[in-house]
Amino acid sequence: MAQFSLPQNSKIEVGNYFKDKTNSKNLRKINVYRWDPSTGKNPRIDTFEVDMDNCGPKVLDILFKIKNEIDPSLTFRRSCAHGVCGSCAMNIDGVNGLACIKSHSDINGDLNIYPLPHLKVVKDLIGDLTTLYKQYESIQPWLKVDQTGQEKTELKQSQKDREKLDGYYECILCACCSTSCPSYWWNGDKYLGPAVLLQAYRWINDSRDGDKKERLKKVADELKLYRCHTIMNCTNSCPKGLNPAKAIGSIKKMLATS
Amino acid sequence: MENNNPLSPHLQIYKWQISSLLSITHRIVGVINFFAMILICVWAIFIIFGQNNYSAVNIFLNTSFGKFIVISLCWTFSFHILNELRHLVWDAGYGFDLKVAKITGMITFIGSFVLTILFYILGRNFF
Repeated sequence: MAQFSLPQNSKIEVGNYFKDKTNSKNLRKINVYRWDPSTGKNPRIDTFEVDMDNCGPKVLDILFKIKNEIDPSLTFRRSCAHGVCGSCAMNIDGVNGLACIKSHSDINGDLNIYPLPHLKVVKDLIGDLTTLYKQYESIQPWLKVDQTGQEKTELKQSQKDREKLDGYYECILCACCSTSCPSYWWNGDKYLGPAVLLQAYRWINDSRDGDKKERLKKVADELKLYRCHTIMNCTNSCPKGLNPAKAIGSIKKMLATS
Repeated sequence: MENNNPLSPHLQIYKWQISSLLSITHRIVGVINFFAMILICVWAIFIIFGQNNYSAVNIFLNTSFGKFIVISLCWTFSFHILNELRHLVWDAGYGFDLKVAKITGMITFIGSFVLTILFYILGRNFF
């Protein structure tokens, strides 16, 4: 049975309040999830008053402003800042997304920022994605062909076959979808989750791959695949506008018709 | 080594979507229907044992609480049938588009009330 409430050591406490020192008229309250592994205390919510007149348009700009000007100990992952790397995936205003492409003006009221849901927290906004990467490895995300490597012939793909990968190859593995999925929350150790299943579909659907049947067989499992109940939180949260629910539906359909 | 790091909040903070609300409603309503079916079967067995039992249940069902239960069950069955149809279409590979899924979700929700009224009127006037 799934545990719906947070364990004792994860209960969130009220944290520090950082009052504005710039005397700005345009203030916004930003609530950020904090947890420091060195203190041994429970996680807390810190509230920062941020001067919005001197802040960039995205949520990531706010985080940088806090880190640079208010509290340098704030920890989060980021890299490209253009929605391509997927490092700054977090829960913003209750929905998973990339901080670098989410405009804070789209959100009304106080801004709540949490790490991706139902992960072991490493520090502050960083969640541990080890399980997800292991599951990704388990679907063998590389081209498998009958060639020995000696032939040195190009694996050709028609435009039509290439188009079949549109909407799937764009996935950046930010884990927004998997960590938004209640099924993945309760069965994350066994159920592969939307991100990995979308990737599985991407390889099943690749005309150059020679291992389609084996791939389908591997994924056809009560727990690995059929824990998807089409809740569609994944599609609702994907920052790249992809549709993991459709990919999973397509795998189920392939299995039912093959 | 046991990882004692805290678990990030999930159900507590995640914003409900139309699709996720309908999904959990589908699950709850399914459980209710399961028990309702058992009760209906028990009721049917009672009828075999005589008229007195039938009238006892009849009196109960005509109280306002009984009526509430009957109408509620009309709704739970209506909702489950319509949402199950939605799942059938999904299984056939259609309707995954976010906009389409939202529209079919709303149709299911509103349709379940329409179907409830239809069930009730049909039941009242013809049986």
